[in-house]
Amino acid sequence: MTDDKDVLRDVWFGRIPTCFTLYQDEITEREAEPYYLLLPRVSYLTLVTDKVKKHFQKVMRQEDISEIWFEYEGTPLKWHYPIGLLFDLLASSSALPWNITVHFKSFPEKDLLHCPSKDAIEAHFMSCVKEADALKHKSQVINEMQKKDHKQLWMGLQNDRFDQFWAINRKLMEYPAEENGFRYIPFRIYQKIIKFLCSKGCEKEGALSMLKSYFIF
Amino acid sequence: MGTSPRLPSPMPVAPPALGWATGSGAERSWLSFSMEEDEFFGEKTFQHCCAEFIRHSQQIGDGWEWRTLKDSSEGYMCKTHFQIKPETLMSHSGASACVQTCLPIEEALELPLDDSEVTETTTGSQVIKYEYHVLYSCSYQVPVLYFRASFLDGRPLALKDIWERIHECYKTRLLQEPWDTITQQEHPILGQPFFVLHPCKTDEFMTPVLKNSQKINRSVNYITSWLSVVGPVVGLNLPLSYARAASEDE
Repeated sequence: MTDDKDVLRDVWFGRIPTCFTLYQDEITEREAEPYYLLLPRVSYLTLVTDKVKKHFQKVMRQEDISEIWFEYEGTPLKWHYPIGLLFDLLASSSALPWNITVHFKSFPEKDLLHCPSKDAIEAHFMSCVKEADALKHKSQVINEMQKKDHKQLWMGLQNDRFDQFWAINRKLMEYPAEENGFRYIPFRIYQKIIKFLCSKGCEKEGALSMLKSYFIF
Repeated sequence: MGTSPRLPSPMPVAPPALGWATGSGAERSWLSFSMEEDEFFGEKTFQHCCAEFIRHSQQIGDGWEWRTLKDSSEGYMCKTHFQIKPETLMSHSGASACVQTCLPIEEALELPLDDSEVTETTTGSQVIKYEYHVLYSCSYQVPVLYFRASFLDGRPLALKDIWERIHECYKTRLLQEPWDTITQQEHPILGQPFFVLHPCKTDEFMTPVLKNSQKINRSVNYITSWLSVVGPVVGLNLPLSYARAASEDE
């Protein structure tokens, strides 16, 4: 893992320049200027857009504001997908900046999960980490960690602290020397129609041929 | 923005263990009915147990059915039912909290208007549509219960509405274990928001059940046993005849 530190840093610090514009039908007291932000690829929309929310709420009345949600070219953006994934899936072929529309009304109940608080994002993130560890280590590593380690993992992501995050994550990325690898490699494949397949991986050659089979449609 | 990243050097990995069904599915006793030695409750076993479960459901008209994913052997079990709730919830002391406050439609229509337990006049009742889906989690190798509820006009029930409708007896337990609580998640096949009972502890409570059934030499249907435990927590009850049917199978 230490050999790959450069790659890990590149992945962690990946950013997407984004322009947030308020949906035209939202009721405002004054003109709402667009808001520009560099979004971290590894994070989640609702975790990193407090400033966006504040910016637009400044020109709106309290009674016209309910749960914030984001949309790109008519597609509601699932906050529980990592930002980099959303961009790669929906907007990678378009010119930068990524243009996202901000809504405060008409939450699309059938498409999006609610995000009532930062705790919901933490719960979702930890749930994903836990599920991955079920495949990698039969949940042994994650379950043997203390609550404070789980907290540190989350805080590392929330506060964009690479070292803080990886101090814990490296334990989740290790396997016993005699084992030669994880029990199973967890991964998810997302297709353009926003449907995903979750599967256990296998050894290198098997993984490659399996990935190939997924791309023959 | 970025230059394309260098791929990390490949790490040596363990010998292969393919994770999905390709077998011919020869019939065997359900305990050994899986593709891998280390899979206690594999996907084939899951599908087999669901098939047995649905067979009984059809006999008693309980409404469960199997849905297959197009062009695949994957699928899930589901049931839709409607419940009428009087507009005002009964709010007596704790004693009546465990009294069934949800009635199936047929019974509700026969309810006398001067029911002494209702403290206010019922101005109108609400019909709530519940959908229950049973899916297989290959990460945890257990079944998972997904559900959602909505009013007839399509308005979904929020988590707090669902929470209110859970029996008091279950609330304490749910609140103690954060990963046992009900959370909203994306349905793995439909991609839509559903509520889920987290599956990570399923193994913990199912293992003693299965061990005991082996000891007393009585076969159980994993799905029947599991659903009888988790279902009532979210308003889904199983008639007792399922238990009798399970012990008659095989």
